[in-house]
Amino acid sequence: MKRRTLSALAAIAAAASFVFSGSAWAQGKYVHANNSGYDNLDPHVVFDVGRAASRINFYDGLLRWVDNPPKMIPWLAESYTASDDGKTWTFKLKKGVKFHDGSEFTADDVLYSIERMLATKKGASSLFLPIIMPGSTKAPDKYTVVFTLKEPSAIFLSTVPEILIVNSQLVKKNEKDGDWGQAWLAKNVASTGSYKLKRYDPAIGFVGERFKDHFAGWGPKAFDEIEFRTVLETNTRVQGLIKGDIQGTDGYLPYDQILRLKEAKNVQILEQESMRVFYFNIHNGRGPMSDVHFRRALAYAFDYDGFVKDILKGAVSRNAGPNPNNLWGSPKDLKPYTYDLEKAKAELALVKEPIRPITIGTLAGFSETEQAATLLQNGAKKIGIDIKIESAPWPVIQTRMQDREKNYDMVPLWKSTYYVDPNNWVGEMYASRYIGTRNTSYINDPEMDKWLDEALAISDQDKRSVLYEKAVTKATDQAFGIYVYNTRWYGPYAANVAGIRFSPIGSGQDMRWAYYK
Amino acid sequence: MRRLEMILSRLVWFVPTMAGLVVIVFLISNVIPTDPVKVLLGENATPAQIEAMRVKLGYDQPLWVQLARHFHDIVSGNLGTSIYSQRPISEDLATRLPATLELTLTAIIVSVALGIPLGVISALKRNSLLDHILRVVSVSGLAIAAFWLALLLQFFFAMKLGVAPLNSRIDGFGPTPVTGLMIIDSMLDWDMESLHSALSHIALPALTLALPAAATIVRFTRAGVLDVINSNHVLYQRAMGLPPGLIVWKYVLRNALISTVTQIGLIFGVLVTNAVIVETVFDWPGMGTFAVQSILQSDHKAIIGFTIWIGALIVIVNLLVDITHSFIDPRGSR
Repeated sequence: MKRRTLSALAAIAAAASFVFSGSAWAQGKYVHANNSGYDNLDPHVVFDVGRAASRINFYDGLLRWVDNPPKMIPWLAESYTASDDGKTWTFKLKKGVKFHDGSEFTADDVLYSIERMLATKKGASSLFLPIIMPGSTKAPDKYTVVFTLKEPSAIFLSTVPEILIVNSQLVKKNEKDGDWGQAWLAKNVASTGSYKLKRYDPAIGFVGERFKDHFAGWGPKAFDEIEFRTVLETNTRVQGLIKGDIQGTDGYLPYDQILRLKEAKNVQILEQESMRVFYFNIHNGRGPMSDVHFRRALAYAFDYDGFVKDILKGAVSRNAGPNPNNLWGSPKDLKPYTYDLEKAKAELALVKEPIRPITIGTLAGFSETEQAATLLQNGAKKIGIDIKIESAPWPVIQTRMQDREKNYDMVPLWKSTYYVDPNNWVGEMYASRYIGTRNTSYINDPEMDKWLDEALAISDQDKRSVLYEKAVTKATDQAFGIYVYNTRWYGPYAANVAGIRFSPIGSGQDMRWAYYK
Repeated sequence: MRRLEMILSRLVWFVPTMAGLVVIVFLISNVIPTDPVKVLLGENATPAQIEAMRVKLGYDQPLWVQLARHFHDIVSGNLGTSIYSQRPISEDLATRLPATLELTLTAIIVSVALGIPLGVISALKRNSLLDHILRVVSVSGLAIAAFWLALLLQFFFAMKLGVAPLNSRIDGFGPTPVTGLMIIDSMLDWDMESLHSALSHIALPALTLALPAAATIVRFTRAGVLDVINSNHVLYQRAMGLPPGLIVWKYVLRNALISTVTQIGLIFGVLVTNAVIVETVFDWPGMGTFAVQSILQSDHKAIIGFTIWIGALIVIVNLLVDITHSFIDPRGSR
């Protein structure tokens, strides 16, 4: 009986050793754990920061953002020119560029790609729908594309990298019932991009295989394969990196997790100042927030130092206004608000409207927004303003913010980089043309509109900068929002990963430059 | 004959049960203050884009029209398109169903393999130290929250001991899918490396689900065995001098397991519920993670689709349990 028991135990031990053993990654393969799902690979559908990796690594644009501060470099286009009135943009394309299936990239592919974006009206299309009419883009020859805008647009060039080029012939072959190939392109890739799709499972993620014939060439040690997996749980991503199962994860982890990773010997944290401003969005279209003195009182009631230095351990940079510190278009001497309850009380005394309790909506799962709201609640209570905090998932917050009646009084959130231009921040936040979409402060200020609209219509950066500086100064002085910090990006990678080129657009997930030391 | 009637009766009840489920979930998902169209198009969408998409997707219609259309779609086998993935929801769910089934079935097998023998031992050694220990452990097992147990197992086995993978279902993407069950497909492919990987990856999530379930089974089996062991027919077998092992195996277990089998059917529902959390922690690409993503994205149709599939699965499993029950205890089906 005893021998049988021992034999059984030995069998269990053998089975356990078979079941439990570590895993290893192949040489030249990079595995990244991402906090969003890769449910769709269509580059004209996906436009959120969380799913940037499939867009950047599988697809190319005419221009491309790299590095920090971001530089826009020619990519599928070799050059471009603009007409004097800023309405006509001519792009000369690189010759001899191959798609993954070996066919040649031409101007027809650019035309198809922009028409597809305008027709499907998803993803980044909202950047182009107001300024490009369907059918207005032309190809005078095989390697030239001419965009004719409805009106001059100073931001058009900085949004061109978002026009990602698909293989028109291949997509057309897979169109079904006039769907512009959406069903097919959701799980296939048709591009010239750095990596070819090798495996894809919407539930897991994707594997890309290096496209050796990519027109931009390759460094000697570039990854042969990249694998991006969905791992929703933050703790699992962090532990996976420490354990060595993955070689990288998202760069906006909670700071306590960054500190944990900094202690791991096999992990490196790359640091860069990003362009992601954390601020309180204030509903200026409703009393008492419509009163400048009330807004100023709130701005003086927030403990900036306590938040930045104590809660966030100095992991971020104080940002005085709506534009990120490291971008042009902000006055160098912009004076930030400080935590000063006496000034807050003085401002509050000037408020003419009746004071009422206000509601802050915080983003469930984003503890920083809850911490910031609680800190403001504490400061406001000391000057006699009651604040109620409601937590909800981002889709709930977003829906309510875009509805003037249902919008919260305040929402702490981040304004990320979709294109590198001050219009991405102060313009979209406070120009009335964006009310209900990106202007969820419901600011409708003719003076702001004059500056911001003019800055959109002229191309001279010096002149534009002056206009944006005026707008930023007014937004800060009038406390259209409470501006807190500009995010630092803490890119967590395995210690042997090198060559990461962080850019605020793409958040360090452009893997064509990276390699193992 | 009674058995056939019972099966038919259950099948007839399936329809109103599922209809009720659809109505409840539909109404709840519409109470949530989100606009799925705005979520779909993102913060950059213009009001015109939002309105056009709302009309296209039928969200401009009154609620009862949307519900009627939804019923029509479901009866036609069309659960709609996910606003997040832009794919048919049935396709998304079908892709993920095998992962959830593999996990929950493995957890059930583990929980039964642990729970029944321990329940029998606990009953036979009633009031002994072993019985007390098993009772304390089973009560603790019932009290432990799935996500906490998952984190503990990850920390101990994956991080400290390094004997199990931390997360995911398999290294890479696994063998060519035939059944969608990685363990079975690895064996069909005769791919021992994948089999090894699949077994090692399923160990911790299956244990997380199985331990609380095993605790329930221990308690029900123990109670069942104690109930039967003192009955007259068992006393009679003892008096006849039959060996204790034979009595337990042949005369006690069959009667004692009736309530346990019923419980296993209910446990399946609990396992599927817990799988939503466990799959998220272990990055298990099943229906649970799909549900979490759908909720986070306010993908109403996907949430409804998930609930319908899970509801149907639980109803079917309970029907199977009833059928099994009728074989174990034929009294009710004669």
